[in-house]
Amino acid sequence: MQTCPLRPRLFFKPHFSKFFENTSTTTTLPMVKHLGIVGAGTMGAGIAQLAALAGIDVVLYDINDTVLRQALERLKRSLNKAVEKGELNSEQSTGAFSRIHPRTRLADLSHSDFIIESVIEDLRIKKDLFKHLEAGTKSTTILASNTSFLSVTAIASATRRAEKVVGLHFLYPVESVKIVEIVQTAQTSQETLQQCHDFLNQLGKTSVAVTDSPGFIINRLVHSFHGEALQILGEHVADAEQIDRIMKAEGGFAVGPFESMDDLGLDSLLNATKSLFDASSGDSRFRPHPVQKRMVESGLFGKKSGRGFYTYEQEKK
Amino acid sequence: MAKKKQKAKSPQKSPPVHQPEKAIVYVVGDSPMVEEYITLCSSHGYAVLYDLDDKGQTSPNIDSRLVRKTAKIPGNVSFALELTNIDLEKKRKNLEALDKALPVITAIASSSITVSATEQSSWIDKKSRLVGICSLPTLSNSSLIEVAPTVFSPAETIQVAQRFFKSVGKEIELVEDRVGMVFPRIICQIINEAAFALQEEIASPQDIDMAMRVGANFPLGPIEWADRLGMQHVYAVLSALHRDLGEERYRISPLLRQMALSGTWWKRM
Repeated sequence: MQTCPLRPRLFFKPHFSKFFENTSTTTTLPMVKHLGIVGAGTMGAGIAQLAALAGIDVVLYDINDTVLRQALERLKRSLNKAVEKGELNSEQSTGAFSRIHPRTRLADLSHSDFIIESVIEDLRIKKDLFKHLEAGTKSTTILASNTSFLSVTAIASATRRAEKVVGLHFLYPVESVKIVEIVQTAQTSQETLQQCHDFLNQLGKTSVAVTDSPGFIINRLVHSFHGEALQILGEHVADAEQIDRIMKAEGGFAVGPFESMDDLGLDSLLNATKSLFDASSGDSRFRPHPVQKRMVESGLFGKKSGRGFYTYEQEKK
Repeated sequence: MAKKKQKAKSPQKSPPVHQPEKAIVYVVGDSPMVEEYITLCSSHGYAVLYDLDDKGQTSPNIDSRLVRKTAKIPGNVSFALELTNIDLEKKRKNLEALDKALPVITAIASSSITVSATEQSSWIDKKSRLVGICSLPTLSNSSLIEVAPTVFSPAETIQVAQRFFKSVGKEIELVEDRVGMVFPRIICQIINEAAFALQEEIASPQDIDMAMRVGANFPLGPIEWADRLGMQHVYAVLSALHRDLGEERYRISPLLRQMALSGTWWKRM
């Protein structure tokens, strides 16, 4: 297969997808039956729905009762919508809903085989949480973080179970994006990776294995897409609309970089960029662009604020 | 200048046996863009003269009555394209030869992604005839082309270029004259970042491509893009960005550099 003797050494480390193919047949690890989710925000609730539909019992935990109740409302609506669209029958929908158990006590997660954390992107909060999770669960429970830009290695360091800690980077919107990054640290065990891979299969997702590093793969390369476009805009080589038009017509991109930034929200992108820049010890490729900073300072966050690089009329419902 | 372009609006297909003087396009530069432009121009009713290294091969199904290889540049050419990105010495020689041979009214569109069009115009006498264009492998299929006028390009030259590209089915987008222009600069920086990630062994090439296609809705993964554009062109664009802008953010991944210099062994099977 390879034409150069260097390639296997370079590109075929055991943690890459090859690994999964080779071992999945030889070992049978237990399926996930009880999933715990910490944080009932958009991502947490989305993952809960996905798992419940796959027949997994879910304990959905949030410290805030109101957030939890709102999440359940949204879940109900989203499941009903799926029934209306004919994607599910009503049995599947009610079955899935009945498998989601809202809880406000962390101790209720103690029976979980697998826990996914999706709380605010704050390292101290996450580390503290993982410490508690480690203490309150079985030694075999996998502890996964849905962080999109924090160091999974740093989160794992709060536990004495680092071999069971991984990042599972689900992308928004959870139900429609087919791919999840499995982020492994130097200590994550092969068995844990295998279990994550199987679990994501259960949810109907494809997984890619990535090493813990700033931005993992997707956010890192999406940053290049946005960052270079901003650089070009900043140098007045072309304006935002032109750049979008060029990327779509010449490159075949479905959305241009500025439309994409408006969609994702300039404020959250700026935060992500800042942390990428920090985590890379100030590599100039990840430097936040002044244009982006200025727009965030003036409240132009993109679609959600009605204006970013483009103006959106009454899009909010 | 306007009158010589009238014939450009020839019918799309129908190479008639009887051909009253067809407008002649002269194409010279790097493979495979020269071949792509030969196909594009001849299928839109132009007669094409071209010059190309022996390595390059033109598509077998082009009309040989319309296309001819020649190193000598005749004076009756209506529009010339210089498509070299990699060897800038050669590019300079090509442009000097075109500038000498062609009458002053003939416009030259020259690929300006690895050296700015303004810098190129300093190589020739009749600076007003030159505009920069974005030319990379496979891009001649797209419906849009970036055009970079220089400070010396009058409106007429831009119009001639616009009419030419319109006649082969392309809209133009006028951008400032900077190396990398827009699309090559963004895509090559994405490829460079992917090469850094590969070199750090963050993920496999297959996984990187899949992650970007499925997770970020990219039309192609970065490694696939690199395959399609050709590593040497990618490397030429990145080198130009690094050279012209002098910023550390355009530092080239050592792995990418090795890939570009050592051929295609790295290509995925």
